[in-house]
Amino acid sequence: MELLKENWIFAEVDLNKVNPITYQLITKMNQISNLPVTVVLIEGSNESLEDDIKEYGPDKIITIKNDQLAQGNDLEMTNALDTLIDKTGRPNSFVFAATVVGRSLAPRLQARLRTGLTADCLDLHFEDDDTLVQTKPSYGDNIMCEIVVPNHRPQMATVRSNVFEAKKFNNPSTKVINITNLKVVKDNQLTILSKPLPQESAESITEASRIVAIGRGDKTEENLTNAKRLADKLHAVIGVTRPLTDLDEFDINDQIGQSGQSVSPDILINLGISGAVQYTAGISNAKTIVSANTDKDAPIFKYSDYYYVGNAEEFSKALERALQ
Amino acid sequence: MKIVVGIKQVPETTNVKINEKTKNIDRRGISGVINQYDRHALEAAFDIKAKTGAEVIVMTMGPDDFVVSLQEALALGADSAILLSDRAFAGADTLATGYVLSEAIKKIGDVDLVLLGQQSVDADTGQMGPIVSEFLDMSQVTYASKLDVDGDTLRIKRYLETVEQDVIAKLPVLVTVTDQANEPKYVNVVEIAKSFEKSVITWHASDLNLDDDRVGQAGSPSVVRSISSPEAVAKDNHKLADNPQDAADELVRILKDKNILVEDK
Repeated sequence: MELLKENWIFAEVDLNKVNPITYQLITKMNQISNLPVTVVLIEGSNESLEDDIKEYGPDKIITIKNDQLAQGNDLEMTNALDTLIDKTGRPNSFVFAATVVGRSLAPRLQARLRTGLTADCLDLHFEDDDTLVQTKPSYGDNIMCEIVVPNHRPQMATVRSNVFEAKKFNNPSTKVINITNLKVVKDNQLTILSKPLPQESAESITEASRIVAIGRGDKTEENLTNAKRLADKLHAVIGVTRPLTDLDEFDINDQIGQSGQSVSPDILINLGISGAVQYTAGISNAKTIVSANTDKDAPIFKYSDYYYVGNAEEFSKALERALQ
Repeated sequence: MKIVVGIKQVPETTNVKINEKTKNIDRRGISGVINQYDRHALEAAFDIKAKTGAEVIVMTMGPDDFVVSLQEALALGADSAILLSDRAFAGADTLATGYVLSEAIKKIGDVDLVLLGQQSVDADTGQMGPIVSEFLDMSQVTYASKLDVDGDTLRIKRYLETVEQDVIAKLPVLVTVTDQANEPKYVNVVEIAKSFEKSVITWHASDLNLDDDRVGQAGSPSVVRSISSPEAVAKDNHKLADNPQDAADELVRILKDKNILVEDK
C-alpha cells in the first residue's frame, strides 16, 4: 500500500458553490495537522472554485475539472476518488462534511478502500503526528466515543457543520494541481435531476433566537393558530416535528430533529411534543427549553429547564396573556 | 421483485448511562425495538409489495434476542426473516457488519432492491447503506424522502443542504429511507398471531461464504478507544404550577428575572 504523508479534505460543492463546512475543515486541519493539508475539489470545467478555497490557505488543492463528475452520483464520485488515490497513494487521513453528500460518499469510499470511517465527528486531533483521534457522539448525543483507526489508511471521518470556525489564512505557498485526464466511469442505473431548494423568505429556524415548536398533538387548525399567535407575541419562529411536515405549510426546513434541522435558539418552547430522540437530537444546542405536555412522564421534560404538565394549548393561551 | 430490508434492533431509549465499573454502556433493563428509521424502510417495502406483489425479506445481524424485531417485521407483512448470528460477528464495526450483510444478500440471490433506514438511532452512523451497496456493486440512493415504484424503476426524492433531487433509479439498487418517506403502520394482534406461523431463519458464519479476516473484531479497522458521558448542561427541570395561568405567569416572571425575555423586544 503506497502511503502519502498528507491529510486530505473533500471539498463539498452544492450547485457550483463551496459549502462553508469545507472552509471550517481547512482551518481546523491547518491547526492540528503536522502534515501538508490537501483539498480535493471536483468541479465543472468552467469553474474555478479553487480561488475561493485558496483564501483559507491549504497547502495543496487537487482540482478535478470534469463536467460529468461535477454532477456525479455517489458511485461515480467513489470511482473517481479511488482512481485518484490509486495514482497519489493513500493519504494519512481523508475528512468529509457530515452532510447528506459526505455521509453518502465517504462510507462508499471507505468500503472501497476497506478502511475505518467515523461518522459525524464533533472533534478531531492528531496524536504521534499521524494518528487521527476522532470524537463522535452516539445514542442521540448521550454518549461520546473516541475512535481511532490504527492500522488502516486513510483514516476517514465525516465532521458536523459549524463545530469548527473557518478563518481566512493567507498561505502564499498553496499549490494548485489540475487533473484533467481522470477516467470517469458512468453509472447508468441512476438519472438525477437537481434543482435549488427555494430559499425561505422568513427567518429560518436554524438562525432563530426564539422558537415555538409544535408536535403531532397540535395538528388542528385551531391549535396551529394559537401557536402562531404565541410565536408572534414572542417574535419567535415556528418549528415542527416530523408529522407536521405532512401539512402543506411546513417542510423539512421547518422541521426540528435528526432528519430535519438542528436549532440553537436562546429559548425554545415545546408545545405538545413528547420528546422522541429523533426530535431531541436537534435541540441539544437550545439554551433555555420550556415544554408543555399532558403526559407527566413525557421524555421532553428531562431536556427542559421549565415544564408544565397539562394541556399545551391552554398553556400557550395563558402564556400569551401573561406576555400582554 | 425481491426486496431485502435490513433492520437493526436498538435500545428503546437512547438515554443510556455508562456503567462506572465496566466502563461500558449500561443497557440493563432497556428493551430492544426496531430502529425507527428502519420502520420507514419496512413501510416502503410493504408499499411496493402492495403495488407489485414483491417478496419482502427482512434481515438483521445480532444476538439471538434480535429475533423479537424480526418477528414483529413478519407480523407487519414481511414474507420471511433472516437472523445473522454468530459469535464470530461480535465486535464488528460498520465495515465488518456491512461485509456480512452483503454476503448474506448475495446468498439470497437475485435481489432487486435493498432498503435500509437512513441511520440507526444508537450508533448514528448512516454508513451501512453505502458500505453494503459498495460490496454488492450496486448503485445507491441515500436519504430518500419519497419513493414510488414505476415498473422496474423507482422514482425517488431526496434533499441535500440547498438542493432538491429527483432520482430515477433502475433496479437493482440500494436505497436508504428517511422518516419523511411514509407513515409506518403498527402491528395488530391478529397479525402477530399469524406471524408465528412464519419462522425466523438463522444463518451462522458457516452458512455464508466469508473471509475470516473480514468479520468481527478482526475485520474492523475502527477501534473505540474510550466512551464517556458528555458534560451535559444540567437542566433545571423546574416544574411549573398546575394551573395554566399560574404556570404561564410564573414562567414569564422567571424568564424576565433571568433576562431571557426582555420587555419589548
